[in-house]
Amino acid sequence: MVKAGIASGFDFLWRTSGIDVPFRLIEYGPQNTNFDLLLVGVANTVLVSILGMVFATLLGFVVGVARLSKNWLVSFFATTYVEFVRNIPLLLFVFFWYFGVVRALPPPRSSIDIGGIFFLNNRGLSIPLPVEPGAFAIPLVLFAVGFAAFLALRLWGAKRQAATGQPFPVVAAALVLVVGVPGLAAVVAGMSTAWSVPALTGFNFRGGFALIPEFVALFFALVTYTAGFIAEIVRGGILAVSKGQTEAAASLGLKPGQTLRLIVVPQALRVMVPPMTSQYLNVLKNSSFGAAIAFPEIVSVFMGSALNNTGQAIEIIAIVLGIYLVVGLAVSLFMNWYNARIALVTR
Amino acid sequence: MNAIRWARTNLFATWLDALFTLACLALLLRYVPPVVEWAVLNATWNGNDRTDCAAGGACWVFVRVRFGQFMYGLYPAAQTWRVDLAAILLVAFVVPLLWNGAPFKKLFAFLTLVVYPPLGLWLLLGGFGLPVVETREWGGLMLTVFMAVYAGIGAFPLGVLLALGRQSRLPLIRSLSVAFIEFWRGVPIIAVIFLASMLLPLIVPAGVGVDRLVRAVVGLALCIAAYMAEAIRGGLQALPKGQTEAAAAMGLGYWKSTWFIVLPQALRISLPALANEFIALLKNTTLVLVVSLFDLLGIVHAALADPKWVGLTMEAYVFAGSIFWFACFGLSRWSAGLERRLSQGTRH
Repeated sequence: MVKAGIASGFDFLWRTSGIDVPFRLIEYGPQNTNFDLLLVGVANTVLVSILGMVFATLLGFVVGVARLSKNWLVSFFATTYVEFVRNIPLLLFVFFWYFGVVRALPPPRSSIDIGGIFFLNNRGLSIPLPVEPGAFAIPLVLFAVGFAAFLALRLWGAKRQAATGQPFPVVAAALVLVVGVPGLAAVVAGMSTAWSVPALTGFNFRGGFALIPEFVALFFALVTYTAGFIAEIVRGGILAVSKGQTEAAASLGLKPGQTLRLIVVPQALRVMVPPMTSQYLNVLKNSSFGAAIAFPEIVSVFMGSALNNTGQAIEIIAIVLGIYLVVGLAVSLFMNWYNARIALVTR
Repeated sequence: MNAIRWARTNLFATWLDALFTLACLALLLRYVPPVVEWAVLNATWNGNDRTDCAAGGACWVFVRVRFGQFMYGLYPAAQTWRVDLAAILLVAFVVPLLWNGAPFKKLFAFLTLVVYPPLGLWLLLGGFGLPVVETREWGGLMLTVFMAVYAGIGAFPLGVLLALGRQSRLPLIRSLSVAFIEFWRGVPIIAVIFLASMLLPLIVPAGVGVDRLVRAVVGLALCIAAYMAEAIRGGLQALPKGQTEAAAAMGLGYWKSTWFIVLPQALRISLPALANEFIALLKNTTLVLVVSLFDLLGIVHAALADPKWVGLTMEAYVFAGSIFWFACFGLSRWSAGLERRLSQGTRH
């Protein structure tokens, strides 16, 4: 290595990077260090992964449940979607969404206007942003308090039901405490603070927050692809709960909603959590497909740009792989903890 | 009458169902006719260049003109018979191996795993009487298949060893295997391909150049071996303990009992999972694009940059996508059928 003229050591982290990044969540410019560049990449990877996981789960649940629908047409639609998605490379999805969809959108002047506040065009998606994000502190606190109160109430409700047999309206309590009150506060906060709404000035949109086309394409690719796999997990989980369970619940006098919440979902979750964990880890790893369309995630900015600039392959590769391993480990530890909590307790 | 009854139970059972059915029908009517019109009715199939294509329809002329490149990359036209022969041999060896109930399974397994790798490599690369074709001239579908087959064949023995190592009673071997498996499973394949393309030249002795394609295949194989090891572990764990105990009671040592008793049964159980790993491998070969190798998707994508054919994005992706889809769908059907047969065999 010395012969090849390659420097070693981690000093390069504190040197100026000289690389500009078009999309960042934290303050950064080319005059910042390579370490800051790494942070920008990590933040982008985490952002697209978390959003991808959340929306893929939602879409996957819908498709998975639709596949089990008694309605022939609905289940046919869902089956077609799953079989289509699972047998095509993710890279093709990324290319399709980027070159086939986002890049083919109209220019900013004739962008697709969604409710007058979201604007979709070939430069990406412009979304409004509150001028003072601090206004949302109160709803956030309310959400945390409401969630804690809900957990306590549920515990108390379970105790009371065990003692007196009187059921406690858990769903209504959750709706009020976790969704209703903080939601209302958020609406109030949103109305009290000023919003920076994107507006067309000249050839592009100003104000708000612009999600670059690469982000939009990668996000949609991850969501549509992963949802196909999650749908199969959801379907398998629901099918794993034997029919006798729902019948027994009905004969005990549980209502359909209670049956679903107390009998079916807990047992289905037990089957679903391990494969879901590996799907979430896949989303994290697959966010690196952004490198193929130059979305500035960690592989693209660090293993690509920074490595070209500094030439310190071994250090950079070790850092990037290390980060993936650590974040992946964190996700699987959390999911294992969750799995242990809901696992069948056998005595 | 039956049709009406069927519709009433399966499409219009409740008001909500009817609503969903109507919504789905509306979607079908709205989107299917334009797609069919674009892809088939208004499409242009014959011609020589862009100007032959009618507006409002797909321009399949593009795929037709470029077909040779999409299949063989820049492989010299006079030599493409070698690629065809290699493909025919591959099919001839693999199909009897996968066919349920075909005879001589052991012979074909030997042909696929031992005879084919050097034979196919000789046909494609040349030497020993055939003109040499450098790997940088390879591309298209042949490169995709080459990488999937060679990475798969290379990864399989490693995966078996890793799975056995993970079950080993020796702590050192066990922890080494676990570390290896978890490491390669924990990092993105795109990063591994980068890693292989940058680090392999540093590891091998000076003077030995490592071909770019070899680096990519090694990177893919290392990753897939870890995933295969987990698939095989499932098979090993599903094997009743009585099998190894019986083997030990018969006086078989570890290697003999593993080779004759454990592996044949465990691999049979893990075949569907292994097939799914192979599908994932086939899809992931597209990632070699990041080290400038042009597999099927890469070469189709690159063809879009040609000013003569600019703007034919959908045609290109539909073509590449359907090849991948048919290959992966076929494999997954095969694996699902195998899984069904296996579960029937073990039902008590």
